[in-house]
Amino acid sequence: MKLAVVVQRYGAEINGGAELHARYIAELLAARHQVEVLTSCARDYVTWRNDLPAGDDTVNGITVRRFETSSERDPIDFGLRSRVVFHEPHSLAQELAWLRSEGPTSPALVRYIRRHANRYDLLLFFSFRYYHAYHGIRAAPARALLVPTAERELAVGLSLFAPIFRGVRGIMYNSHEEQAMIRAVSDNAHVPGVVVGVGSKVPERTSPQRFRRTHGLSGPFIVYVGRIDENKGCKELFDFFLRYASARSRSLSLVLIGNSILPIPEHPRIRHLGFVSDEEKFDAIAAAEALVMPSFYESLSMVALEAWALGRPVLANGRCDVLRGQCIRSNAGLYYDTYEEFAEALLALTTDPALNEGLGARGRAYYRAHYTWPVIERKYQDMLERVSSDEAAAGESRLEPLPGWLARRHRTSPAATEVLARVPTGAVQVDRDGRSHVDRPRP
Amino acid sequence: MSDFSVRSDGIDVERIMQQIRARIREKRGVDYTEDEIRELASVKLDRFLDPKQLRSGLVEQFRKARESAPPETYDFEDTTIYESHRLPFLATIRRLLNPILKLFFNPNPIIHALHLQSRVNKRLVAKESLDYEVMSNLVLELTRLSVEVKNLRMRVESLSTRLDFDERRARALEGVVQLKPGALSPDLSTLGPERVPAGGSEGSEGDAASKAGRRRRRRRRRRPGSPGDEAGVGAGPHASQTSPGGDTDAQPDAEDDGPGTESSSGEDS
Repeated sequence: MKLAVVVQRYGAEINGGAELHARYIAELLAARHQVEVLTSCARDYVTWRNDLPAGDDTVNGITVRRFETSSERDPIDFGLRSRVVFHEPHSLAQELAWLRSEGPTSPALVRYIRRHANRYDLLLFFSFRYYHAYHGIRAAPARALLVPTAERELAVGLSLFAPIFRGVRGIMYNSHEEQAMIRAVSDNAHVPGVVVGVGSKVPERTSPQRFRRTHGLSGPFIVYVGRIDENKGCKELFDFFLRYASARSRSLSLVLIGNSILPIPEHPRIRHLGFVSDEEKFDAIAAAEALVMPSFYESLSMVALEAWALGRPVLANGRCDVLRGQCIRSNAGLYYDTYEEFAEALLALTTDPALNEGLGARGRAYYRAHYTWPVIERKYQDMLERVSSDEAAAGESRLEPLPGWLARRHRTSPAATEVLARVPTGAVQVDRDGRSHVDRPRP
Repeated sequence: MSDFSVRSDGIDVERIMQQIRARIREKRGVDYTEDEIRELASVKLDRFLDPKQLRSGLVEQFRKARESAPPETYDFEDTTIYESHRLPFLATIRRLLNPILKLFFNPNPIIHALHLQSRVNKRLVAKESLDYEVMSNLVLELTRLSVEVKNLRMRVESLSTRLDFDERRARALEGVVQLKPGALSPDLSTLGPERVPAGGSEGSEGDAASKAGRRRRRRRRRRPGSPGDEAGVGAGPHASQTSPGGDTDAQPDAEDDGPGTESSSGEDS
């Protein structure tokens, strides 16, 4: 089968969540299929500047075709348009203008897809929210598979995406919560979908002692891995940890791994290590009492899966439906909504070795059952075969056409905040029959 | 230390979280809902408000002012300027004639501005309730702090009184030990070397001081009915009145320091 992976950025050095996800999947599928990557020349996800040369390239043995973006993102224009479409009734034309402002605006990429889609059996589009996915799917709907990587974000509530969710041939979801959310906003239950996620290249062996020696850490610690950002819940994590450190624990430290765009409190028990190698990251997770995931919005926490792969429990923000759902379904992590819950759960994880080990063991089992590469590959393979064998759907497009010039300008689309507010919240429970339902709406 | 009984095959995270929440409820006493907490806060506000220190009617006054003259607002949509209550079809005609109107001036900015104004009005109305809430919380916090300051002040006073009493009691007890008739003078040889200096000029001073102390005690023993005995039960002022030479400072010093070598210095001088 000849496949194209279409993603906003691509490269060995690009470590964004969706981009890394796309690279892992491309490399996984390349073992069985002929895979090409279609992407922009951008390296920076804020400006979409053309940092890399346009044309063909090879990354880890996979052909990558890069297309220039026609304009960089203007943050002021994007901010103004975002305010309108997210918070006010608006028109479809305004949403399309917002999408163009968001980028990566690469008409050359879309043109290529429109002209050469028949060269590929299927095209896998990553990240629904960007220009390349929306216009790329509209250019080749009959061959489009979507990996939305959607979290509970306002863009999900925009009316232009619902036809996309309904019109693709299949959707690879990252989590049951993501599936429930997209079904609620677009009513796309008829579209073949499977919850897959992504694995990780977790090493067979780690050396916690080496990490402790290198960084002079002797006492117990919890670790956070990721961008240190208020949007990732780090500010709340700092508040909670400082309260916990002064009131409950005299020895527990917080180790932070990742680049920081948020001031980190000066405290003897908060250690920021910055960006570290993968080897060191895995050593750190293995040495930690637990991994803490304070993020409010996640599509799939790869680092949580890595912690579970290494047999470490996770302490997650329970207000993120995906993390809460993963903790409940895996039985491998605790979650918190308030400081009191954070403190009690952390105390339990750090003072009860049986609980800590038990959760870690369940995490390892959960990872093996759902996120190892053979499992991921089988799910992708099943979906590719299912879609390609559906001859009836292969030739025709189910994608609803765009409304006419005048209709696009009618302000009939509600604010995205209103749409998202109507979507049920809470972790999703999966029955033994595989049917999922929102367990209990979060207060 | 947590006390979850777990086995790796029997872990149920939801059950553990229920246990954690139960533990939090136990610690907190009662698991109040948000509404209950608000109700409690208002009750405390009424109970603790001190009209002398705080305008206790501030919140009430604000509430009444809001109820009596609610801020005006209106709805203004892009169709409002075409509407007609008496002749609904007029709206359609006006809309049809809109292109002609646009030849003279563009009504869209006006519609937009009025629409924005209506939104601003609504926001202001919404903000008022926020202001009320902030003010209410501030009043509540101020009242709580005021009560806490009062309590702390009372505690400080109480502690200070107890400290005074303890000091007096300590002095009285020291006086009893020092002035009890027939009590033996302390054996200086049992004291440490630093208290019994040997040789040199320091040694002669120490000897002189101890002799003076013994002299003073002998004088007191010779006068069993003297007020110096009463000093043992805390009558310091009487003792000072009857001290030889009329040196009023000398006797209290002796009482304070007890039977040590330094107590004699006042008398010797």
